[in-house]
Amino acid sequence: MSEASMAVMKPEMKSYIWLKTVDGSIQQVEQDVAMFCPMIFQEILKTGMGSSKTYAISLPQRVNPSILGLILDYCRFHQVPGHSNKERKTFDEKFIRMDTKKLCELTSAADSLQLKPLVDLTSRALARIIEGKTPEEIRETFHLPDDLTEEEKLEPLRNVTDDPRIRLLNRLYARKRKELKEKKKLKNVDIEEEPKDERSVDDLLSFINGADGDIKEMSANKNKKKNRRRKGHAKDLSLENVNENKRELDSVPFACHNHNVDNALKASPSKHSQTQDLPPMSFSPKLEFIDGDLDDELDPAMKEELDREVEDFARRLNSDWPERMQILSLGQDRRLVPISMNSNVSTRIFTGMG
Amino acid sequence: MGDALGSDLISDLPQSIVESILVRLPIRDAVKTSILSSKWRYKWASITQLVFDEKCVDSCSDRDVVEKSVVKFITRLLFLHQGPIHKFQITISYLQSCPEIDQWILFLSRNDIKELVLELGEGEFFRIPSCLFNCKKLSRLELFRCELDPPLSFKGFLCLRSLNLHQVLISPDAIEGLISNCPLLESLSLSYFDSLALSIRAPNLKYLYLEGEFRDICLDDTPLLVEISVAMYMTDDIAEHFEQSASCNFLKFLGGVPNLERLVGHIYFTKYLSIGNDPGCLPIIYKNLEIIELNQVSFEDMKEILVVLRLITSSPNLKELQISGSSNIPSATDAPDLDFWEKECSSKCRLSHLRVVQLTDMCGVPHEMELIKFLLASSPVLETMSIIPCVYVVESQLKMLTELVKFRRASAKAEIVFVRE
Repeated sequence: MSEASMAVMKPEMKSYIWLKTVDGSIQQVEQDVAMFCPMIFQEILKTGMGSSKTYAISLPQRVNPSILGLILDYCRFHQVPGHSNKERKTFDEKFIRMDTKKLCELTSAADSLQLKPLVDLTSRALARIIEGKTPEEIRETFHLPDDLTEEEKLEPLRNVTDDPRIRLLNRLYARKRKELKEKKKLKNVDIEEEPKDERSVDDLLSFINGADGDIKEMSANKNKKKNRRRKGHAKDLSLENVNENKRELDSVPFACHNHNVDNALKASPSKHSQTQDLPPMSFSPKLEFIDGDLDDELDPAMKEELDREVEDFARRLNSDWPERMQILSLGQDRRLVPISMNSNVSTRIFTGMG
Repeated sequence: MGDALGSDLISDLPQSIVESILVRLPIRDAVKTSILSSKWRYKWASITQLVFDEKCVDSCSDRDVVEKSVVKFITRLLFLHQGPIHKFQITISYLQSCPEIDQWILFLSRNDIKELVLELGEGEFFRIPSCLFNCKKLSRLELFRCELDPPLSFKGFLCLRSLNLHQVLISPDAIEGLISNCPLLESLSLSYFDSLALSIRAPNLKYLYLEGEFRDICLDDTPLLVEISVAMYMTDDIAEHFEQSASCNFLKFLGGVPNLERLVGHIYFTKYLSIGNDPGCLPIIYKNLEIIELNQVSFEDMKEILVVLRLITSSPNLKELQISGSSNIPSATDAPDLDFWEKECSSKCRLSHLRVVQLTDMCGVPHEMELIKFLLASSPVLETMSIIPCVYVVESQLKMLTELVKFRRASAKAEIVFVRE
């Protein structure tokens, strides 16, 4: 274009702002459009950047080029003052039609550019997507991991009419189950990968024999301690009422005990009513234990005693194992994987104690 | 972390966006997000807006059961909630006054509540506990069917911008005190108060909505009022009281609102304004008044017509006018004071911005026709005049039409739409 024609065109020529996205690409955007974004507007005011390619304004990391294109389309329409409210609404409705992934990226980018009207618009669209869907559908739409256990899904607000003690009990046992499952997962991993297997078994052996400075050990010790205390309380708590048919399991570690109670609770209403007789305060001390906030520094003598007990339990476990598996898998479907039979004593102790 | 299909789209968005989304969901759905994944477990618990309506618990035929379950739901939710709560709204018709509500309000008063809306059922009025008056950050308060009794030491809500009291038991002194002690008050709505005599002093007030039987309203200090909407009911003894009053209601009410942009009146509002002495030529010009809507104007009462005229002629920028009549079927023998129109409306009067006029429930009484004649003659940019005759006067409609066509129109563009059912 010649100088002369440029001069003639001058009144219509807009000024441009240079924007740089996180991937390094730079583009030129009409100033009116770009300034519609508060973040860009402030950046220009404060630093004076954006007037040339070398001094392009760096956009936040959440804004990639394709999303920037969408945002600029939005700005280009809305910065024109002449549009009626109805026109704006119609534009918005059409604009919003995109796949969920893009919608989420757009929300994030608009937020980083402080473009509140667009954030409101996209939030509304996302809310509309979520509303009325089942949790599975929502997880699928947004690719959310289903990583909550059943226990955690016992949403307090959903079981509005349940007896609170039963729910507390369920929560307790579910938590124990979760810990058990995690330990089992660890254990299963051990089996699959040979070299690792050796090491972890060694670890287990070593902490059973009283090694220090191991986190697992701490929790195992806590568990041991819990079991001790629980044994002391067993008579007070009258859990045995529930397990009148399973008396041989009285001294079994708490986790297994729980499953039976849980089964009992779920399987038969009569047993359910028995637990209603439990004194209301019985479970609060347990909660404390399980939250594991107690400081469990055991002295050596205590440790040895515990070790001996652990070995006792292990032996009992081994002997009753097939029977126990049957009992464990009674009632509702369990998410637990049966502990494999060919593992050695110490690992079983570890999981049993979980 | 995500499943095989792709990475998590949404869990890592900033909490402000998550809040923005959750707040647009019904409260139940918002709470249900806690079972989606471990990251989502407590995202709902820090939303700052809690809105409870009829649908937040499962409905069932037994009202008591539903009521109990909603109380449980709200109590538990508040217990699990973390962080400030800026908006708390209950609009549940089957929830009656109960002690738990006191506890909720106490909880809210400790959590920076800013907007509180309480619309309970039609039972016993809920007595608002005194802890409400400790909510220093309260900016919006809406109460339906409550009893409000501010303590003597109450110095006002310093941040309150919007107050809506609907069927609230409160002494007139307390309301006046409340209004004048809230310096930032911008929007005031009072509905269904019985025989209220009120003097409103609110220097920042912009929007006023009144509905009910008002004995006397005086806008003492409301210079910034922009929108007024009044639906005034009148009982016989109030009407009597008015007959004896000499003060000019028009000036008492509209004398101090020069920035008025929109005026809406229903039922006896125009009559109320007409009571008292004629203000004569008004000392005030409503420069910004663009929309006037006066309903149930009696065209047989000269004073009411005068009110309408004064308003119209004092609003040079009037754009839209809506008037509905309330005349009974006219008795033709009456000889109305028609030369009044020649006296009051000089031909120089121009409504240079009036574009849209709507006249409803017109019976064809002489004064109605004179008004139409006046409007047509004085509105050079009039675009539409819609006339909807009263459904009871089928015979007079033809007469009305005949007269209409005779009227001179100042605007060449004016369309007269005569709507017949």
